[in-house]
Amino acid sequence: GCCQGADSASGATWACFLLGERALVRVRGPDSAPFLLGLLTNELPLPGPAVGEASTSARAGYAHFLNVQGRTLYDVILYGLPERSSEQPTFLLECDSSVVDALQRHLLLHKIRRKVTVEPCPELRVWAVLPCAPGEAGGGGPLRKKAAVCAPVLTRDPRTYRMGWRLLSQDEGSALVPGGRLGDLQDYHRHRYQQGVPEGVHDLPPGVALPLESNLAFMNGISFTKGCYIGQELTARTHHMGVIRKRLFPVQFSGAVPGGGIAPGASVLTESGQAAGKYRAGLGDVGLALLRSEKIKGPLHIRTSESGLVALTASVPDWWPTATK
Amino acid sequence: MAAVRGLTAVALRVVTPWQRSSRLLAASSGPRALREVSSSSPEAGEGQIHLTDSCVQRLLEITEGSEFLRLEVEGGGCSGFQYKFSLDTVINPDDRQGERGGVFEKGGARVVVDSDSLAFVKGAHVDFSQELIRSSFQVLNNPQAQQGCSCGSSFSVKL
Repeated sequence: GCCQGADSASGATWACFLLGERALVRVRGPDSAPFLLGLLTNELPLPGPAVGEASTSARAGYAHFLNVQGRTLYDVILYGLPERSSEQPTFLLECDSSVVDALQRHLLLHKIRRKVTVEPCPELRVWAVLPCAPGEAGGGGPLRKKAAVCAPVLTRDPRTYRMGWRLLSQDEGSALVPGGRLGDLQDYHRHRYQQGVPEGVHDLPPGVALPLESNLAFMNGISFTKGCYIGQELTARTHHMGVIRKRLFPVQFSGAVPGGGIAPGASVLTESGQAAGKYRAGLGDVGLALLRSEKIKGPLHIRTSESGLVALTASVPDWWPTATK
Repeated sequence: MAAVRGLTAVALRVVTPWQRSSRLLAASSGPRALREVSSSSPEAGEGQIHLTDSCVQRLLEITEGSEFLRLEVEGGGCSGFQYKFSLDTVINPDDRQGERGGVFEKGGARVVVDSDSLAFVKGAHVDFSQELIRSSFQVLNNPQAQQGCSCGSSFSVKL
């Protein structure tokens, strides 16, 4: 799991990670849904009815914004906030904080006459809440019985149950979670890379990453039955033509990794020197690489210098659909 | 049945948000309502759209009273922006703002574009195209548009 040994002594059940690299944009107004649907790969998470003060009936979804050429621009977790009778439909979009301005410009460029407002939401912070014991990922979840008066949003991570829960709050997340303790952000990223979950601009370079190769379908981020959105033509055609030859796979380095890490874009080679793909991003000895599916089984390596190489192995996440194994 | 002259059964399905089938098939032989001749078209050559003869003829066939064709641009759609046609009877303040927005009149037919949308379509032609696959109003030769989707209703903008 992502917790260190100290947890068994402290009895902590949940590790709470403050995701300073994720930011929130609020889209609100009567035209919110049709506006976002014309720009996103997926249907919107529609909230349940508001029950008292607690907003635990907010729903989360996952999607990408694509450019006209069908390449990923921004990966977002969407939150549909419960609508009280006097309020307008409101969605929160969680994105990489380095592109929060670019995302707002993208939204405003396409707004034209729609009755929506687009604004940052700096007062809420994004937390990831992961169970300390791996087996509890499928359990009831944190904050079950609490009134959760201070937690505007608590939902399962929509991408995979392996990523636990998302919590949006003005307050200290770990204080809200009974049995929770603050986690080290590096452990969150290590866990992500081990599970093969790309997130943010390093894993999904804007204008470069292709959504289906980025496993958008495995992460519940795309609907092939919804109406037109920017970049749909290439995406739908790729899907219907059948074969995705390359994908982002989680990789683990078995040798010593150079101090500065491995350069993004470094060629990954098979034992016999054939091209298997390219390294994308990572942390320490774990990361993601865009690899040809047929080449992932044997030993792989990256050349680090004239004479040096580092060995790595790729794996198939067990939460992917079984048809791909 | 003058309205259906020259149309195949397939082409009768006009691809616009509203259904005009009842108008198409009914005998529309009543006198046309007197049409106010709009004098508020923008300066020639500045922020104009051009109506083709086919567009004018089609509008004269299907509009009644003070109806006109409204053209709007919306964000979204496979290439980034999409054209939306509708019949309307109400001209809004931001439809008449000198060279921004405009009421375009030709031969007794009117097409109205609000100021936000006109920025995306100025210099373009509005046509009524009759093809086997459909008959519909189309925006053609849009100087602002760079590439479009296969069905022609969505386009991207030259930066």
